[in-house]
Amino acid sequence: MTVLLLVLAVCATLLAGVVLAALLDRALPELAGTLSRQRIETEAPDRMNRDLAPAFYLALAAVGLSVVPFAPGLALIDSPVGVVIWGTCEALTIIVVFLHGWSPNAPFPLIGAYRYAAIGLPVMLPSMFVLIAAALPAESLSLVAIVDSQREVWNVLRQPLGLPLFLVVALTLTLRGPMDFADAADIAGGTSAEDSGAGRALWQVARLAMLVSVSAVAATVFLGGPLGPVLPGPVWLWLKTAALMAVLVWLGNRVARTTPSRMLTILWVVLLPLSCADLVISGVVAL
Amino acid sequence: MTDLWVALLSLFAVWTGWRVFRVDSMVRASFSLMLSFIAVGAIGVLLSAPYIGVATVFMMAVEMMVMAIFMVMFMMNPAGLNPMVMVHQHRLSIGAGVVAALSLGAAVLFSRPPEDAVRAEADVVAELGHELLGPSMLIFETAGVTLLATMVGAVILSSRQGRFGAADEGSRPPGLSDGGAPAGRQPEGGGGHHHHHHHGGHG
Repeated sequence: MTVLLLVLAVCATLLAGVVLAALLDRALPELAGTLSRQRIETEAPDRMNRDLAPAFYLALAAVGLSVVPFAPGLALIDSPVGVVIWGTCEALTIIVVFLHGWSPNAPFPLIGAYRYAAIGLPVMLPSMFVLIAAALPAESLSLVAIVDSQREVWNVLRQPLGLPLFLVVALTLTLRGPMDFADAADIAGGTSAEDSGAGRALWQVARLAMLVSVSAVAATVFLGGPLGPVLPGPVWLWLKTAALMAVLVWLGNRVARTTPSRMLTILWVVLLPLSCADLVISGVVAL
Repeated sequence: MTDLWVALLSLFAVWTGWRVFRVDSMVRASFSLMLSFIAVGAIGVLLSAPYIGVATVFMMAVEMMVMAIFMVMFMMNPAGLNPMVMVHQHRLSIGAGVVAALSLGAAVLFSRPPEDAVRAEADVVAELGHELLGPSMLIFETAGVTLLATMVGAVILSSRQGRFGAADEGSRPPGLSDGGAPAGRQPEGGGGHHHHHHHGGHG
């Protein structure tokens, strides 16, 4: 019974979250318009990967959301290694985006795919450091335990570097703003330059779904997830997730994108040492 | 039920492993291998090793992405889009394959797997951590530092910038025939003395 409710909660959260994200992005009319459009074929595409990439992206968002506890001690996938499962979803997202750009056999998607792989791989390192740092006070890799460890004080206060660094990861995973090296306008839409019709709509929906999942994970790891006074746990999680989604959409719209080579330098020379510092500070505090 | 899943996942792992050699692109081969490893990781989760299982999938996802990029670079196969054959040195590889299959099969048949089931209340992740940072610490730390040194060395060796100038300065591509003129485009002015290199923006 609980499992059924949790499955429903995950599906409802994804669905409502995608609608909210589309509203925040003002993308609803465009989405509806794409759905009815005819599909354009490229020359000799890898059909299997082209068709599967949006579905896998959506599936990764769903798996990522199902490790999130909706109430203290209550997650659909209550695994002792919940954080590692989420990390796996992050790593597989890079591959899905790469395959989405590689499969149409066309120049712009291909440039987007390789650019994204070059940026996405170094982003994995800060992501792992801040997630491990968040696991330190909980002495567990389980997201349920990480929520429990924030009863006194949220991780966002205990580890001030964690959330900002994780927001960079979130922007990368959702192909947004300063970290959108896959689907950016400067390469005519990148990996989705040749997308059209239902496939394009599904890819955009999957991007929005990933925004919901990554915000929910950030809310869980840094903002105490379902913890909060008066209101029930799920409502707190939804409120925090929605707030982080709005922050991510705002950041995506406000922060400019730099060149990939300069972004690589920023990632390796600035963000990676910062995330190391985050891990060291969190370790010392947790002792 | 677990037995059935392990059998199905093993079959999937073998099939995707076989696909690695049958597909016609390094990108497809890399990600077929990744699917094979994902199946192996799922078997690890079923065998009560959740950390090792999930971490296998995580590591392989990152590694296969890196491998796809490097293979495409080394194979001189533009972007991994041109069809190419994944096997070479047929006789040697058949021999090596048969020997490896026989010896691994013998190892499986003649070794005794542990028979004591994992206790239901065992905290396997914590126990693994204590093992890694306890009795096995020397092995894992040695392996870790060796890998790190290898990576740093590989980056230094492949870097164009160096203490004595650019790594490719004065290098000549080999000729198309024995002792022939260097292949590729010649620098303008026949490679004169006042050749200005423009060192690109590597950060």
